[in-house]
Amino acid sequence: MQRTSHRTRIQLERLTGIHERRVVGPGENSLTLATGAARDCLTHSQHQAADIEMLISTSITRSKGKFSQSFEPPLSLYVKQAIGATQAVNFDLSNACAGMLTGVFVLQDLITRGEISCGMVVSGEYISHLSWNAARQIRSIFSKQLASLTLGDAGAAVIVERTPNGGPGIDVIGFTTLAEHSRLCLAFPSNIGPGAQMYTKSRTLHRVAIDDMAPLVAEVMEEAGIALDDIDYLIPHQTSARAIRKGTQEFARRLGAKPKHVVVTVEEYGNTSSTTLFVALHKYLEEQRLHKGDRVMLLALASGIEIGIAVFTIDSQVDHYGRTH
Amino acid sequence: MGAHIEAAVALTSHGLRRPTARRLADAAARAGLAQAGKESGEVDMLINAGIYREDNMGEPALAALIQEDIGANLGQPPVGGHGTFSFDLMNGVCGVISGIQLEAGLLRSGVIRLGAIVTSDVHPNLKDPRSAPFRPSGGALLLDWDASIAGFTDFHIETFPEYEDLLVSGLAWQEQNGPHRRPRRSSGKNLMAIEGKPGYQARLVDCAEEATRHFLRRLGMGISEIDLFVPAPSSADFLEPLLIRLGIPGDRVAYVAEDLEGVYTTGPIAALQAAIKSGRLREAHNTVLVAAGAGITVALALYRQTSP
Repeated sequence: MQRTSHRTRIQLERLTGIHERRVVGPGENSLTLATGAARDCLTHSQHQAADIEMLISTSITRSKGKFSQSFEPPLSLYVKQAIGATQAVNFDLSNACAGMLTGVFVLQDLITRGEISCGMVVSGEYISHLSWNAARQIRSIFSKQLASLTLGDAGAAVIVERTPNGGPGIDVIGFTTLAEHSRLCLAFPSNIGPGAQMYTKSRTLHRVAIDDMAPLVAEVMEEAGIALDDIDYLIPHQTSARAIRKGTQEFARRLGAKPKHVVVTVEEYGNTSSTTLFVALHKYLEEQRLHKGDRVMLLALASGIEIGIAVFTIDSQVDHYGRTH
Repeated sequence: MGAHIEAAVALTSHGLRRPTARRLADAAARAGLAQAGKESGEVDMLINAGIYREDNMGEPALAALIQEDIGANLGQPPVGGHGTFSFDLMNGVCGVISGIQLEAGLLRSGVIRLGAIVTSDVHPNLKDPRSAPFRPSGGALLLDWDASIAGFTDFHIETFPEYEDLLVSGLAWQEQNGPHRRPRRSSGKNLMAIEGKPGYQARLVDCAEEATRHFLRRLGMGISEIDLFVPAPSSADFLEPLLIRLGIPGDRVAYVAEDLEGVYTTGPIAALQAAIKSGRLREAHNTVLVAAGAGITVALALYRQTSP
């Protein structure tokens, strides 16, 4: 807020619950964040880079070198070369903040059919430049760029593999696009500075998400034969602590059940766009708050509007994190 | 049983006064649906594989806007098991074949019943048509499941990162009016730069030849068993040396229509459209698609119009 050009009197911390966020250092960008996350992910797994048969990069920002947004070659090519996954098939996938979970959806199908046995989804988001551009133009709490002030930089990567010996894995994963609301959040290259600007109708987006997500989640859970109160940890897309808490309450009221825990990490990292779900998952694994047998629901919400749901059971992942690692 | 090409449509300006990436993809998608006799609501998955847009929008995925424009499963949340899932896939000229690989798999596993892959590219800065070395175009490919043919059976994607800097593109901030003095005023612009280096076309041919031979060796197929070769790009400086080196006669090649020469991500769809229009796709037992682009990335697919 100190960077805003106008005197706004917006109490952003009270409004969003965000106390801190991370921004890149000199020389860092989407590619370096993605590469760092990919390397870290490998060290927390039992895999070598050569085991990765498909690598999907899902960064929205795609900054690399002199480009604030790189288009060709795909960022995934550079990531796979940097980590040594040279034999992996690679491509980029863009689906706003639902990108990483979309990548998991794609890999899950390939693995289930036996086409591959191990793949990686990676994203690096140097997105804080949206904040700096927004800060120069925001005048009031009603600005459509207000959500840009909550963004933080992060990298995340996830390895999806065939479950060994029939162990627990992904119980259900599904996506849909509510395209009639496709224009509620739009981001374009900025015309006032390097990087981009984002315009969000936050209140409408929140209302639509609550209205439309609840019946979709109920349907997916029913098909999978899982009750919402069977979920130990719900990890929703991290936009603001207040929105998550209000949304979860409304969710529970409509569905008549609630998960045992709702994960909120936005207070510490801000909204890290396509990486939020996996930054939160990583934090909880590292802090050993997840245990074998815990059932986790990832809930993606993104511009489009994209709604994605994945439910999986924690297994050997916990052995590679925290004090035991 | 296999993933079957239901329709392929490629078009250029389509009579639009100001053809944007979205409008071109919309027009191609509508034409593809009409050709296939399908309703937009039947599309379960819509992948946009286009790259260059007039506005370089970062989010949402352009695919979501196209889904809205063609009216695929709008209205209330699609409970009851049927909706459309849309996202963008970026792999340059090879994006269509990557999209086919994903959708063919999802058709096989029964997750989707009708998949669409759309493309479009326009000059990133519309005021400067020289800024991009391709012809603005849009394309749409519809895939469904057919019990009577083998369809898309095999894929091969190979990269040659030693040539990754021969073609690069991206947005870069360029100061136009000197350093900022008034913070709310624009003093520059994020402009698209597409930078090709000498030797790119020659290496593209080398890599396409090598990857094609690797693919055929893996399949145990000889060049003479290719009934129809569907290449992208269609430019003579790529295609002619590649055909000579591989020993593929011209009468087994799907050449794009003249008005579609020089298209970009739409290339594979334009070549498929030519193969369908001529009736040769239906007659060919073994059709090999090949696409080559930045990376250098080469993507190949085998499509079999024979019984599984």
